[in-house]
Amino acid sequence: MKNLIYIIVLALVLMVFGRQLKPSSNESGFNIDSFSELPVQVGGRIKPLDSVARNTLLILSARQKVESPDGEWLQPIEWFMDLTMRPELADTYRVFKIEFPDDLGLPGLAEQGQRYYSFNDLKPHFKTLLELYSKLDPEPKKRSAYDAQIADINDGLMLYHRVMHSLHPIGGPERLDSLADEYRSYTSSVGPGMDALRKQQAGDDYDADLLRRFVTFGDDYLKLSRTAHLRVIPPPPPVEPLEDWENIGEELLGVMQGEALSPYVMGYAGLTMAYRRGETEMFNQTAQDLRQRFIADFPDDIDRVHYERVFNSMQPFSVAMQLYVIIFLAVCISWLRWPKELGNAAFWVLVLAFIIHTLGLASRMYIQGRPPVTNLYSSAVFVGWGAVLLGVFLERFTRNGIGAAMASLVGFCTLIVAHHLAMSGDTLEMMRAVLDSNFWLATHVVVITFGYSAMFLAGALAIFYGVLGVFGNRFDNKSARTLSGMVYGIICFGTLFSLVGTILGGIWADQSWGRFWGWDPKENGALMIVIMGAIYLHARWGGICKDRGLMALAIAGNVITAWSWFGTNLLGVGLHSYGFTDSGFYWLIAFLISQLVFIGLVLLPWRFWRSEYGREKDQKARKRILIAGADPT
Amino acid sequence: MNPVFKFFASLRLTVVLLAFSMMLIFFGTLDQVHYGIWHTQKLYFESFLVVWAYPEQWLHYNKLFWLHLPMPGGYLLGAMLFVNLLAAHITRFKFTFKKSGIFLIHFGLILLLVSELMTDLVSKESQMPVDEGGRSNYSQAFRSNELVFIDRSHPEHDTIHSIPTKLLKIGKQIDVPDTSLSIRTVRFFPNSNVGRAQAPVADNIADQGVAIKMNVVATPTEVTYAENEMNTETAYVEISGADGVIGTWLVSNVIDERFPPQMVSLGEQSWEVALRFTRNYYPFEIELIDFKHEKYPGTEVPFNFSSEVMVHHEDSAKDQKALIYMNHPLRYEGLTFYQASFANQDKTSIFQVVRNPGWILPYISVLLMGLGMCVQFGMHFIKFLSKRRPA
Repeated sequence: MKNLIYIIVLALVLMVFGRQLKPSSNESGFNIDSFSELPVQVGGRIKPLDSVARNTLLILSARQKVESPDGEWLQPIEWFMDLTMRPELADTYRVFKIEFPDDLGLPGLAEQGQRYYSFNDLKPHFKTLLELYSKLDPEPKKRSAYDAQIADINDGLMLYHRVMHSLHPIGGPERLDSLADEYRSYTSSVGPGMDALRKQQAGDDYDADLLRRFVTFGDDYLKLSRTAHLRVIPPPPPVEPLEDWENIGEELLGVMQGEALSPYVMGYAGLTMAYRRGETEMFNQTAQDLRQRFIADFPDDIDRVHYERVFNSMQPFSVAMQLYVIIFLAVCISWLRWPKELGNAAFWVLVLAFIIHTLGLASRMYIQGRPPVTNLYSSAVFVGWGAVLLGVFLERFTRNGIGAAMASLVGFCTLIVAHHLAMSGDTLEMMRAVLDSNFWLATHVVVITFGYSAMFLAGALAIFYGVLGVFGNRFDNKSARTLSGMVYGIICFGTLFSLVGTILGGIWADQSWGRFWGWDPKENGALMIVIMGAIYLHARWGGICKDRGLMALAIAGNVITAWSWFGTNLLGVGLHSYGFTDSGFYWLIAFLISQLVFIGLVLLPWRFWRSEYGREKDQKARKRILIAGADPT
Repeated sequence: MNPVFKFFASLRLTVVLLAFSMMLIFFGTLDQVHYGIWHTQKLYFESFLVVWAYPEQWLHYNKLFWLHLPMPGGYLLGAMLFVNLLAAHITRFKFTFKKSGIFLIHFGLILLLVSELMTDLVSKESQMPVDEGGRSNYSQAFRSNELVFIDRSHPEHDTIHSIPTKLLKIGKQIDVPDTSLSIRTVRFFPNSNVGRAQAPVADNIADQGVAIKMNVVATPTEVTYAENEMNTETAYVEISGADGVIGTWLVSNVIDERFPPQMVSLGEQSWEVALRFTRNYYPFEIELIDFKHEKYPGTEVPFNFSSEVMVHHEDSAKDQKALIYMNHPLRYEGLTFYQASFANQDKTSIFQVVRNPGWILPYISVLLMGLGMCVQFGMHFIKFLSKRRPA
């Protein structure tokens, strides 16, 4: 039986890994991996096309897979290939997520229970959508939910259209099937075309037909240069790291100024033609050639770009998230049955999940060349990581499952938050100039974020105290004392890190803005956490609050930390507000209410507590009242 | 023990004060949305008492407009915490090794409170814009103004007689220092709209200068506290010589170099009169050699701002070359120059100039507190570990 428990847990863990690491079924024979590693410059950074495909899809569909009309699930990069190379097919894929299609009032669009729509589904409604869009308030903050949905669809369609035009001009099948010919006839027409233009301007005889063709090319590519979304064409070598790459339209126009056409242009044309004809060998060879060229031109970047693609497909945070669920369940069951085996198993899975979480964090650091926390998304990932780290230590010392359960809970919740923050696109963005300091990012930001981790873990432990104490009947004095010690220890950590982090922030501010302290919202938020910690510690040392009061303070710490972390960004004032969405506001309110409920729960009079611990406390309190009543003085 | 003393030394008071601080900071953060940081800071943190009012922009304002929350301000709380801490140390604490961590933290905290108060009281912030290739020997404070009389008669230098506009009270007579002039403020607007009237104004108070020549008039408007807006301070001043009134001028901080100078003449002598942002002059000039504003490739995201400057001091032994960029200010002669902003298509660099004699104090207090925390929690942690071992 004992062994069976371990085997079951192991099987579950393997299942999680299996789901994630399963090699993508690719019977087509196209070497998708090498295509997905082709480079593109986005947001100041070189990354693989795979990342672009994923981020675009996240924005459009809020997920990283596409269902084709015949029910097959496509990888983001496969969808991207169809979008750019076989657009007629991609237009039938349901990639536009519309949360409330019925509310749009577009006749014939909404289907029962369907939240995903294809480009072709939306096509008949373009005119109406555009009309609705033009009437919206230009200030996004003032838009209603309905308006926001209209805006999202319009922005999504625009993005779809622009990404589609990224690798080459788009047209009917005839055009896409003969891109190489088009480029050849264009480049050969540039010389004579310019000549004809000069002649026309000088009033001499010229070949009107040739000029017309040349001008048509020019107009078309000019439009393309404005539409094409991605900068896929690197400048000719040697390339400076800060040099701008060009989009396909700009590169084609450059030929008119006497620049040679980049081999990447022909490469992408070749890929498209091969893909459309189903010539796998030709496609794989061309992709390989392009890759070799990239390796030769960017020897320093190739490893990073390759690793980013691998990182994308591994999805360590998703794996960790699923493991956290297993841990939480295992610990909960362990309190009812098989405490030793399940407790042990939970601990080791927690260690494993922590390693994977760490791997994900380290990968992001390598790809970005930055300390772990650079934006709101990465702070969420890091808060979870820190809480799990503390939880591993707690569990190592106490071995009662509480640390593991609460750490996995915080880890899971923060990764969910991170997952939702990732919907806005690239999470590995470049840092604005004032933040561009690895030293301060590595110290101030990391320390303060670790402070958040500790405060949240302490809050989770306090909630756990309330839930078990009030509802669970097995919760006894010893467990309560252990928990109280844990909360105390973690809050000590949290206060220390918040204080040191706040102080480091002050020093950074003094270095960059000329004042140690400026009462900026984010600074104030950090200070509030420190004060919260100080209140807890002084209340404990002074015996001002006892068990329940201290736990309530620890839960209040959750609210303060959430305010400092997200709330201050919502205010949109100050030097620290680096952008955030408004839906965050409602989540914050919901979180606040839930925490107030827990505080109320913890503060319930002892007579409502069902646990052994609570009943004992209740009796003691009654006795005290009796004694006080019987006191003859 | 004296009950009053006991009250001031109690931990209960500490917790209550900390709770009030938290409340103050929270509402002081919320109000920044409406009043901007600068004004909120004055209102909440540099005050003794503050009343928070339910913001007009919030839901159901017409039902909740009566909601007001009075609370102690930053100075009061700071002072109370300070007294509380001192009293506690005098009555309860005995200095032992075990308590050394707490002592260090508390001492650091006291120093931090003191340095913050000092910064509030004595630090001065101003801005210095410099054009590429140009030089500047003064900085301007954007939240205070001065009324100046400039005597340009000397070929080598100008003599400036300055009166802070804080002193301009309507009807009050002020003698301009070291001249035979005196002024009387007829009207004063802390913020105003200044513009040219289409038709001649009937009751123009001013009878001299631009107000007459260019038909400029000022109308008062509400004072702004927004982060990046300035107040257009305007005054109508009547200027008199020894023999009586010379005339009334309209002066304003938007009537600057773009306008012809407004001259006041008395006998042989003449002065240029102007109301301008308070200037601090320095015995050195900052020359901007080159300003760089780099962006990440293919984006508008700034990657670096930097200013290459040369400092020319009157005492040329103190000349210095420096590169001022993000997170790397220039500290020079008790002043600190930060890369704050830029203008004029990247041709002008704007430095924040800060004089804060106490700038080192937070660093010291921070060290003390960090050290104290490490000692305190380190001891706890070691105790925790050694308790586990034997088990």
